[in-house]
Amino acid sequence: MLGAMESLDEDAKLMVRYRDGDTDAFSTLYAHHKGPLYRYLLRQVRNAGAAADLFQEVWSRLIATRARYEARAKFATFLFHIAHNCTMDFFRRDLMMRRADRPDGADAQSMEPEVPEHQRPDGLAEFAEQQSALLAALGALPREQRETFLLHEETGLTIEEIARVTDVGVETVKSRLRYAIRKLKKSMLATQIPGTQPRAARSDLKDTLVNGSV
Amino acid sequence: MDQSDDLEEYLRGDTALSRRYRRESSPAPPHVLDRRVLRLSRQAQRTTQRLSPCLQPLAFAACVLLSVALVLAMVFGPQAAKRMDDNAPRLVRVAARTDVTPNVSLNRRAPLYGSDLPRTRPARVWLADIAALRRAGRNDEADAEYRRFRSAYPGYVEIGGTDHTSGALVIRP
Repeated sequence: MLGAMESLDEDAKLMVRYRDGDTDAFSTLYAHHKGPLYRYLLRQVRNAGAAADLFQEVWSRLIATRARYEARAKFATFLFHIAHNCTMDFFRRDLMMRRADRPDGADAQSMEPEVPEHQRPDGLAEFAEQQSALLAALGALPREQRETFLLHEETGLTIEEIARVTDVGVETVKSRLRYAIRKLKKSMLATQIPGTQPRAARSDLKDTLVNGSV
Repeated sequence: MDQSDDLEEYLRGDTALSRRYRRESSPAPPHVLDRRVLRLSRQAQRTTQRLSPCLQPLAFAACVLLSVALVLAMVFGPQAAKRMDDNAPRLVRVAARTDVTPNVSLNRRAPLYGSDLPRTRPARVWLADIAALRRAGRNDEADAEYRRFRSAYPGYVEIGGTDHTSGALVIRP
């Protein structure tokens, strides 16, 4: 048991201490993870208000389930698994609301199934105007590819750990990450070509989104 | 092949892509969120501390005990016994009413099993008395006596079908 505790990462030990009643341990844990978690949520849902709500929901769930916490893996996999589930719930709710709001009962198959209102091409282009070409390209990635990239960048999780967090296979994670890197590199190259301004890259992005191909 | 090289290079870390992402993406949660989450964590701990861990098994045991007591009270308690007492006569009464003949007065309680009248005389003696009343011409009294006899001996059968009367009432098997 002692050996198992020694092999745990520092954050897992902090979580165990919080589970056992140490509130200060939670403060330290929170300070370590608040930035990566907030950025993961913000880049995923691309809406500051929704990201703030989800941020609070993730920590609330963690607090509510602390009694059942067992330090078997890296703490970040536990935290981001909760975050992954919260964002999935968010996208499902958003999709249902959009279906309910559609007055003409249009064919659901003809719509893009899992893109929230604020991620539709018009909203996305507006959002893209406010940020760099890289972040705009990141926002234009399919949700699963974006999530895989964010999990690796923000938390340093390995491919296997990301697979555990997102409940998919290792090969699927590799494939998603490979596509994400390729597209993001392409957007970086576009901004580095002399005479090609980031604003122009954003226009290209808007065109590709409207046309439905990346 | 190039793609898998890209992935391996990226996974080794510190690529231009990672550096650029970190440079450009550094938003942090608003302070109001920090305060809210930290308050939540403290509140949750206070709520837990109210019920000390050593009291939890006791609380569980008390719940189980109360539940068992409640079930036992419902099954074997005085109310249950009373209900069982009520049921039995009700069933008997229903059974008894199916045997009620149209001649029995509604004001008179129907016999439960056989007769509720005392068998004051042996059947043969009683029939002999009835026959004597008829012979004396007291037919009304004889009829009333015969009805009483029938109530007392509803299943009485006289073998041979002896005629005890002058013709008005004949006992037959």
